[in-house]
Amino acid sequence: MKKKLVAMLALTMAATLAFTGCGKKEDGKTADGKTKVRFASWDTAEDADAQQAMVDKFNEQHDDIEVVLEAYGGEFDTKIAAGMGAKDTPDVMYMWNYPAYAGGLEPLDSYMEEEGEGYKDNFYETLWDYNSLDGKVYGIPIGFTTHALFYNKDIFAEAGIDEPTNDWTWDDVKEAAKAIESKTGKKGFSFQMKPDPYDYEMYLWSNDAAYCDEEGNLDGNLNSDKSKEVFQMFQDMAKEGYAVATEKSGTDEFRAGSTGMYVYGSWSINSFNEDGLNYGVVDIPAFKGASHDSVSILSSSGISMSADSKNKEAAWEFIKFWTSEEMNKERIGRELPVLKTVVETEGIMEQPEYVAFYTMLEQSSGYTPASFIIDTWSELSSDLSLSFERVYNPSALEDVSAVLDEAAAK
Amino acid sequence: MKQKRFLKTATPYFFVLPWIIGFLVFTIGPLIFSLIMSFFDWPLIGSPEFVGFGNYIEMFTKDEQFKKSLVISLKYAAIFVPLNMIIALFLAMLITQPVKGVRVFRTIYYIPTVISGVAVSILWGWILNGDYGVLNYLLSLIGIDGPKWLVDPAWAIVAVIIASAFGVGSMMLIFYTDIKNIPIDVYEAANLDGATPARQFFSITLPIITPTILFNLITSIISSFQQVTLVMLLTGGGPLKSTYFYGLMTYNNAFKHHKLGYASANAWVMFIIILILTALVFKSSSAWVFYETEAGGAKQKKGGKK
Repeated sequence: MKKKLVAMLALTMAATLAFTGCGKKEDGKTADGKTKVRFASWDTAEDADAQQAMVDKFNEQHDDIEVVLEAYGGEFDTKIAAGMGAKDTPDVMYMWNYPAYAGGLEPLDSYMEEEGEGYKDNFYETLWDYNSLDGKVYGIPIGFTTHALFYNKDIFAEAGIDEPTNDWTWDDVKEAAKAIESKTGKKGFSFQMKPDPYDYEMYLWSNDAAYCDEEGNLDGNLNSDKSKEVFQMFQDMAKEGYAVATEKSGTDEFRAGSTGMYVYGSWSINSFNEDGLNYGVVDIPAFKGASHDSVSILSSSGISMSADSKNKEAAWEFIKFWTSEEMNKERIGRELPVLKTVVETEGIMEQPEYVAFYTMLEQSSGYTPASFIIDTWSELSSDLSLSFERVYNPSALEDVSAVLDEAAAK
Repeated sequence: MKQKRFLKTATPYFFVLPWIIGFLVFTIGPLIFSLIMSFFDWPLIGSPEFVGFGNYIEMFTKDEQFKKSLVISLKYAAIFVPLNMIIALFLAMLITQPVKGVRVFRTIYYIPTVISGVAVSILWGWILNGDYGVLNYLLSLIGIDGPKWLVDPAWAIVAVIIASAFGVGSMMLIFYTDIKNIPIDVYEAANLDGATPARQFFSITLPIITPTILFNLITSIISSFQQVTLVMLLTGGGPLKSTYFYGLMTYNNAFKHHKLGYASANAWVMFIIILILTALVFKSSSAWVFYETEAGGAKQKKGGKK
């Protein structure tokens, strides 16, 4: 009996070893001696197919490098996290959450310097704020979106009022929303009941406030008068009935033509166009008492190199290709181009639905999201999210001042 | 000679080897590894640090959400498990009736089980939408002003329970096969004695299928504690964290907040809770579960007396 057990164990061990052994054999080379670069993307389906086509193009142009696309899709964060834990990160990967992953990423400043002065300057300035941490660049920008005010032209015509302009303040939005509500019965404006705290900080910035100071102190910032003013304004709009707090982003309501205005990124432009929705896009309204124009948050993506990569030269070669003018043009329709030259040559600014996103991009430079300052952002974000919900959820609508004081004291 | 004998004794193990390897590598290995992790402060990047029972102490003394989530999960299990079993049993009884087209119904009831959890969540997200959801529309037809299911904290957990009852199919199927196995002559005899259908159900069907009830009870207790997909996609734990299930909390601690050690400790506490509950159910089972093979002798004697 004992012998049997030993035999069994030995067998299992041998088999296990054989299995795990396979994975360790490679050393960044393919069978035919090319340098292998693993590239992880979060895209799926058609987007991943398009990426594969572009990767193939790169491989055709290079005799000595072979890039292998690994499309992780929704599992992206889990897999990158696991990869970094096991020191088996792909050489090149898409990236947005720099604060969480910077420890496993290669700073790219020196690589960029070798490309000359013009290289970095061709990207929009603001993008670097979101692809760097502590003064070091960890990713080359791929795409972005700022936020802007979408409005439904048909609803404005029905209500017989002037359409929004780039000079609007929130007071103008309120007036228009009231008019829409009383004349058409539709809601004038919608905002998210449970906004992503990361996105929401843009309203605080626009009103000369922020979640925290440079040291990450919430108290006196998150619960400052300027900050409370912002929350109070949105809550009042919902309380007074001409605005609605939506369960999701508000896109469904806007598409269905049941709300007149909402603030969102460029993500849904394609579907609005497909629907044939009659809409316009302008800058985010400004706060009247603020010292400057409105500011937008950036949702940006970049491409990063793993610090553990064994083929950094080849990886950089691929990153350069992936962020080139050619690739920026290739991605139009899926991503807003990040290179000034491409925006110019492709006439992006002549398309009215995109202009506001670039204006917002240019006027949003110099702000650092709290997620880049506070180490425990992920948990803080959950707490903030709960606080915002307490302020905006129609079954709660708690007192702004009390909720924010409590959140800041934590 | 010796070699031959070895081969003879080892052969069966060769056959089960793939399974054994799978079990060791993908089940036991990670299980033990997670237990080890639970004693560490295990960040995503950087090196783990041994903290002994630190994670467990933090959980029970400092983490408010731990208690809240545990209560939410218990509440969910307490409502979901009995409700789900009653619905499953009811449907199983329906599809055993000799009605025309019963196969069609059987398929219809089972289909939701085949649909992926993600699709189900999205589907229910639409059905339960407070403003244009189908459910509230139907309720409005009979004059009820439906609640904002996914926005009102008081109703969200009800919404989750309704949505999860959608996947009742596999349990129904298990009941169904067991009910089908009950010999028809038992019912015939009862009929002759003038037993009503209700009496037949409570005196024949129910006692005979108690082993299946036990099985379904245990598996549904376990699955209700492990519920993650549905709440993650349907409510995201909200509104106001009213559906922030224990499983979701564990998941978020691991993959959102990247506290792998702490999340492992969460998971082990859940494991122990499930273990205790299952043990209690098993303990109680001798009082209410009826095994034909065990009771066979006694039953025959009884019959003989008559």
